[in-house]
Amino acid sequence: MMAQFISKKDLLAWLEKLIQERTLIAPARTNDLLLFQLISRVDDIVLNSNTELSPKECFFPATETLFTVRTNEGHTELVAETVDRETVIFGLRPCDAMGIALIDRPFLAEPADTLYGQHRARTILVGLACSQPKGECFCTSLGGGPDDATHLDILLTEVEDGYIVQAVTERGKEILPPVAERELPLPPTPSLEAIPTEGLPEVMKRFFEAPYWSRLADRCLHCNICAYVCPTCYCFDVRDYSTKGTVERVRSWESCQSPGFTRIAGGYDPRPTKGARLRQRFYHKFLYFPEQFGALGCVGCGRCIRACPVNIDIREIISDIQRMGAKGGA
Amino acid sequence: MEPNPFIPYLATLKSKLDLTPDVKLLTVELEDPALQDSFNYRPGQFAFLSAFGVGEAPFGMVSVSYRKQGLEFAVRRIGTVTRALHELEPGASLGVRGPFGNYFPLEEYRGKNMIIIGGGIGMAPLRPVITTILDHRDDYNEVLIINGARTPKDLVFAPEFDLWGKAPGTTLELTVDRGDESWEGRVALVPDVIRELKPSPHNAIAITCGPPIMIRFVLQQLKELGFADEQIVTTLEGKMKCGLGKCARCNIGDKYICQDGPVFTFAQISKFIEQF
Amino acid sequence: MDPSQQIREKAKELLTSGAVQCVIGYERATDGVTARPLFAYEVEDVDRFIFDQTCSHNLTRYLLDKRDKDTAVVAKPCDSRAINLLLNEKQIQRERVFVIGVACQGVVETEWNHVTERLQTRCELCRQHTPVIYDFLVGEAPEEEPPSQAYPDVSQIEARPIAERRSLWEGHFSRCIRCYACRQVCPGCYCTECFVEQLDPLWAGIRIAPPENEIWHTIRAFHLAGRCIGCNECERVCPVNIPLSLLNRKLEKEVDQLFGFQAGLSAEALPPFATFEKEEILE
Repeated sequence: MMAQFISKKDLLAWLEKLIQERTLIAPARTNDLLLFQLISRVDDIVLNSNTELSPKECFFPATETLFTVRTNEGHTELVAETVDRETVIFGLRPCDAMGIALIDRPFLAEPADTLYGQHRARTILVGLACSQPKGECFCTSLGGGPDDATHLDILLTEVEDGYIVQAVTERGKEILPPVAERELPLPPTPSLEAIPTEGLPEVMKRFFEAPYWSRLADRCLHCNICAYVCPTCYCFDVRDYSTKGTVERVRSWESCQSPGFTRIAGGYDPRPTKGARLRQRFYHKFLYFPEQFGALGCVGCGRCIRACPVNIDIREIISDIQRMGAKGGA
Repeated sequence: MEPNPFIPYLATLKSKLDLTPDVKLLTVELEDPALQDSFNYRPGQFAFLSAFGVGEAPFGMVSVSYRKQGLEFAVRRIGTVTRALHELEPGASLGVRGPFGNYFPLEEYRGKNMIIIGGGIGMAPLRPVITTILDHRDDYNEVLIINGARTPKDLVFAPEFDLWGKAPGTTLELTVDRGDESWEGRVALVPDVIRELKPSPHNAIAITCGPPIMIRFVLQQLKELGFADEQIVTTLEGKMKCGLGKCARCNIGDKYICQDGPVFTFAQISKFIEQF
Repeated sequence: MDPSQQIREKAKELLTSGAVQCVIGYERATDGVTARPLFAYEVEDVDRFIFDQTCSHNLTRYLLDKRDKDTAVVAKPCDSRAINLLLNEKQIQRERVFVIGVACQGVVETEWNHVTERLQTRCELCRQHTPVIYDFLVGEAPEEEPPSQAYPDVSQIEARPIAERRSLWEGHFSRCIRCYACRQVCPGCYCTECFVEQLDPLWAGIRIAPPENEIWHTIRAFHLAGRCIGCNECERVCPVNIPLSLLNRKLEKEVDQLFGFQAGLSAEALPPFATFEKEEILE
């Protein structure tokens, strides 16, 4: 088929140009980790694997100031933060693009989150298809795919000595590098292990009270690793910080797994047990989020599987629940 | 451009009044008079009050919008934000974000017998319900108010008891868990008072708010008297950070207390997947 | 009999007799090569128990979740020191805990789906190959000389100039995302309200940024001074590869030099910072 093609050399030149004109964020290595980072040298970009943390931090940073309180001669003013820089995220995978589209739903729902909206409006997503998905990847079981261009502005697919370029949106077309038309076959789509997600919300409804959750929670540490590496987890905390007369209202990541997440002043906690908290994460992803927004809250990127120190494996949980559902009962 | 929903309106504390040893009535006015005028809300709705430098917390409005007598909040000192709010002096600057949430559909209850059951600081969201009903007295049938607290000093709206008790067709039953030297009234738990008074479920709506344990037993008593789940209404509390359905903290199942609530009937609550 | 089989038989015996309600040990993880904790409540579950050099987790921290239940736990020598620590600090009751001690040749460095042959640093420097407390011993301790230098990793950093050390740690702390996995996995971190959650005074708060991250890690290290038993789980679980064990071991070295004390070696000895002798009052 006729495809738009860019050579590796031309791609590097285009990336150099983006570094000059905008803020370029792409995967780069730090201390044996692959993380989305600000790129100042094209050579720092590493594309052979997916990152440890998802790119949600480009739209929903780990810590963000919402506004500052300035007091001047008894007069108080609230100064909102704004996002000014034009950003391009390069090298993001289809699963992560889907993750961003999923967290768009709560953040951009009325009333829209202003800062998130500004980040989104000023960011262009240039994706890279996966030629070698990891063993833990299961995006195809969640409506995505290793070469799915949906939710991206541009998708690149690696071929010999270059990339096939697909401009998906108008914004993508606007920044497209110079490409050549070439007769090229699209590489075959890699296949992934199928995880039984069909009808999951309905089955989840039946097992809310099952002892399965507290048993699973036995080994859960209730840290925040799974939620923080996840492209679709979006809980946050808000608190004021006061330093030398300036007050900032700051929002930071938090997770429903933290002990005390739902504890109110005075000490009452509606979700005091490990089992209840662990259950909340999976019910949010597989029942409440679909009930609210019509899609499962997971993209199959596999990060939580790799990162969990005690091997709470979301694929195992899905399979266990479906098996419990098939057996009947509850 | 849409306003940033995280940014509060600037407001000034007009007055603070001690209601109980740990509850103060804070009257707040938005700095912008046009905003203050158009800030309309219904009984049941809440707003976040910001003590700048400490943080924000949600409080039900205890005033009624239509009287235009300022925004009133009954704040119980229990954590860092409430302590900071208590320490503000009149004239101080604070923030108001809201109004959020749904409200008691009082128009739907016209012609009905209203039974208002509150315990402790739970009377706060019920006070604007009572004010509205008594201001539109002819729209409602019999009114029974059962108000309990730990001790006589903890009855939150004592200055209004005279008004409530003397309103036509209105009965005010006060009760405390523990009396003191000057208390001559009833000493009993709120659910026991319900059992004693046996209000009829016929053409009635019961609105209740208080500590979770009180609500559980109030519900039990009302069901024993024949009240249907749709006739019992409450307002739920939860830890909240955004009020916008985004921080995913106050959810019960797919319902957010800040958006789908805080007012829920027991018919709705009994369908919740998670029981708090 | 290999250790896995010994553990299975002991677990079966304990569960059948009702001596314990739960046996905490290891099983194979879903990647097929690493290990994960296993909580066995029924006899049918015991065949899943394994023990080999991938069994890195310190299972003793789970005893804090099972305080009111009779529980057996598989403990390597380092893990067993945590049991002594929790007994010292009155966090668990001796009668409720059955320790299946395992004599250990060391555990290897692993990550998801990847097992190396490299011993973890703490194992290379380990001075106890037999658990310091146990009710049943599995395996035989290897015959080995303890290492000549106890803290070569710490000394190496100490030898570097201050500016270099500062820059090294700033780099590490800047990556921290405050997941608190280090705290949650640690048997010594059991405060019902951690200082980092306190709002008044606000020590670090919720901001995820280098200054607050530094406060978090340094104060936590100080809270563990004289208490850390060196399982290095904090470092293993860190998702952003912060070498946390260096911080803890630095303070462990200081306490060792100042007080001649190592945490968790006996169930009776009290940690230095929890003890006050009249003789300590300086004139």
